[in-house]
Amino acid sequence: MPTAATGSVSPASTRVATPARVKKVAIVLATGSYQREAPTTVLRLVEKLLQRGVDVNVWAFEEAVTLTNRDQIDHNEPGSLQKLLGEKHPNVGRFIDQLIRAGLHGAKLDWVSCILCVQERGVEKHQMGGAIIGTLGDLWKFVKAADRVIGIPTYR
Amino acid sequence: MARYLIVDSRDLTEYTGAGFIQKAAGQLQGAGNEVTLFLIENGVIAARKGSDVGGKLAALAQGGVRIVVDDVSCSARGISQFSDGVVSSNIDHLADLIVEGSDKVFWY
Repeated sequence: MPTAATGSVSPASTRVATPARVKKVAIVLATGSYQREAPTTVLRLVEKLLQRGVDVNVWAFEEAVTLTNRDQIDHNEPGSLQKLLGEKHPNVGRFIDQLIRAGLHGAKLDWVSCILCVQERGVEKHQMGGAIIGTLGDLWKFVKAADRVIGIPTYR
Repeated sequence: MARYLIVDSRDLTEYTGAGFIQKAAGQLQGAGNEVTLFLIENGVIAARKGSDVGGKLAALAQGGVRIVVDDVSCSARGISQFSDGVVSSNIDHLADLIVEGSDKVFWY
């Protein structure tokens, strides 16, 4: 990363010592539904990581805690598009549920929602089964245990 | 030397930080590291053939940075032709890069 003194990137003089293959990934996500594509990208990536036998811990905070709101409702797609898209527009919680269930028989996904954020948004009692309410202590443990940590930035 | 994976999800023409990402990719490559710039979501917009930033991406690719774009993101945006040096890729490749193909991952 550039430094104030040099303004240049420090070279990596030696190869970073890392495991030959990543076994555990932590993903930090702050984006809710319908804000940006980040939740969709995370779900796509999580699916592929689980297929590769990688355990994934997702720590959701800020608006991302609404992704696992069990009271999301599937609305009908417009009639003219139903042949193309199906009858209903599925909510993101259903996809997260499927990924958590996929972990029953293979690499595991733990999805944790920040307790402060669920309380501030009034969704603490609305988290779907499989989603766990946790603390920054859980995030710290995820980061400490992970071979890779991916922080998805929030921006407008 | 290390293998860097820089995932860019933001439109490189929209955010001032985009310049830093390109600079960092180029300087890391120049310092002897292996750098992959993976464009996804709105990040693929800059890779459209003829875009203003496309020339800068082509220069990065010529310098050795591997630049790839997510196929689903491109399809969703109607992008089928890319700047020189940019290659189509997919989410499987991103997963492979994270699992086995990189030492450090940055997500912008």
